[in-house]
Amino acid sequence: MRTAAEVVGSIPDGSHIALGGFAIARNVITVVHELIRQGKRDLTVSQGVAGLDTDLLVGAGAVKHLIIGGGSLDRFGPVHCINRARETGSLLWEDWTSLSLCFRYLAGALGLSFIPIKSLIASEILDRLERGTGADDVKRMQCPFTGENYVAMRALQPDISFVHVQVADAEGNCRIDGPRWENEEQAKAAKRLIVIAEEIVRTDVIREEPERTILPAHRVEAVIHQPWGAHPTAVFGRYDYDAAHLKLYIEHSKRSEKIGDYIDTYIRGTKDHWDYLERSGGLAILESLKAERILGY
Amino acid sequence: MSDIRATEIMAAAGAREMKDGEIVVVGIGLPQVACFLAKSTHAPALTPLLEIGVANMRPKDTPVGLADSRIFYRATCWSGFLDVMGMNLHRGIVDTGFLGALEVDRFGNINTTLSREGGKVRYFNGSAGGNDVASLAKRVIVIMRHEKRKLPIAVSYLTSPGFVGGKAREELSLRGGGPHRIITDKAVMGFDRESHSASLLSLHEGVSLEDVLANTGFPLQVPDSVPKTPLPTPEELRLLREEIDPKGVYLGAVG
Repeated sequence: MRTAAEVVGSIPDGSHIALGGFAIARNVITVVHELIRQGKRDLTVSQGVAGLDTDLLVGAGAVKHLIIGGGSLDRFGPVHCINRARETGSLLWEDWTSLSLCFRYLAGALGLSFIPIKSLIASEILDRLERGTGADDVKRMQCPFTGENYVAMRALQPDISFVHVQVADAEGNCRIDGPRWENEEQAKAAKRLIVIAEEIVRTDVIREEPERTILPAHRVEAVIHQPWGAHPTAVFGRYDYDAAHLKLYIEHSKRSEKIGDYIDTYIRGTKDHWDYLERSGGLAILESLKAERILGY
Repeated sequence: MSDIRATEIMAAAGAREMKDGEIVVVGIGLPQVACFLAKSTHAPALTPLLEIGVANMRPKDTPVGLADSRIFYRATCWSGFLDVMGMNLHRGIVDTGFLGALEVDRFGNINTTLSREGGKVRYFNGSAGGNDVASLAKRVIVIMRHEKRKLPIAVSYLTSPGFVGGKAREELSLRGGGPHRIITDKAVMGFDRESHSASLLSLHEGVSLEDVLANTGFPLQVPDSVPKTPLPTPEELRLLREEIDPKGVYLGAVG
């Protein structure tokens, strides 16, 4: 068990970090805030579908190179900071797709150096990768057995992956309830894996239903225990997204001169995640977001 | 029948494209509504999948997006990208993929990445699973608003391939069958077998051919006689209004 501050303190500037969130679900907000508080720079960030997490990191100027399949805050709005950074060319970015990044993580997790795919073909996504920073990561190839055309992609092995989960034991055995997008492939591809858990249970509880363990302890370097750690994004079965806070975020993120106010108030101006939660409305707000047991939201 | 909304005609047109027992990848909004309508009528054994790793969901509340827990309520399976997009789509067994678009051109190429207005580039959500669905599903159906700027001769950015350059899918080395329908609030379009170019299949009630042509940015193939898009049946309307989208969240506006 470690604190977010301890874990983030061990990450050198320029590292490749992979984030386990999807749009407005299970974002690793605890860790993202701490990366910003500690002023990390020049990060490479990879993620299937970027959400508030990566948008914040880009808005704070912590990212040098972005490798994503897409990005959205669902109906609340687009990832303004990421989109603005692309428009102004303030960072290097590569557009992939959800499946192609999942395959690249899978190859990394399997210890393969590359993996073929039938997506990307005949698209401008592939053309741009070939002409840009992705040029070294894609090659057109033919199957040695059938001659079929594929795009070969270099495996992706991030320096460190962060995944937000509902339940873990102190050793790192994790349950993820609800859909898991590319969590498992990304986590197992990374050289280091840190999980952030809403709830810590005894290992005896894990042993009762071992089939629910998605990430086993021997792959997990450390567990950060942080209830409400994904706020204002949703954690299935635990709490809903905080619609009012997401709207407030969009109000700030859509203008380059205002995002700094959000970051100063809610991140740099708070000492840790508990302090952030207090600043964001505290218990009264959190209580209203608690998931109903049957619905899960 | 003037009280029937264009969105309801679109949902019914989408539903009719799905056969019982098929597998479809859907997003939120009208595709999901069309899919539930098909399931409630002629296709009870239809299996809807969501790219994030969800099979056969039965939501009761309105989600704001794919990441909203509301959309995966009462699903029969939770998995991830690798399962839904890898072992279903990439495996080649998904019959229909539904997609939205900023722009679609005459060859069914889709742009969800950027817009160019007055020389200024604005970025949007990008592909996410869109390119994967367009590349791999047996049939692709786009549901969108019928506007000239959204239906250009060539997309500003080719995020997801249709019949690129008018070529056949085999020639492009793509596994999926490619664009099948563009369903708008004015008409249903298909694609010519020879030229792979968009052709008009039907006009919605109250929409003229001139209206469609004036609002389509590419040269649309028009047959000698153009039928009307079938209206939703009274039972379909009841299902749409009372059971599938009672608050009119998706049927109230064209996405």
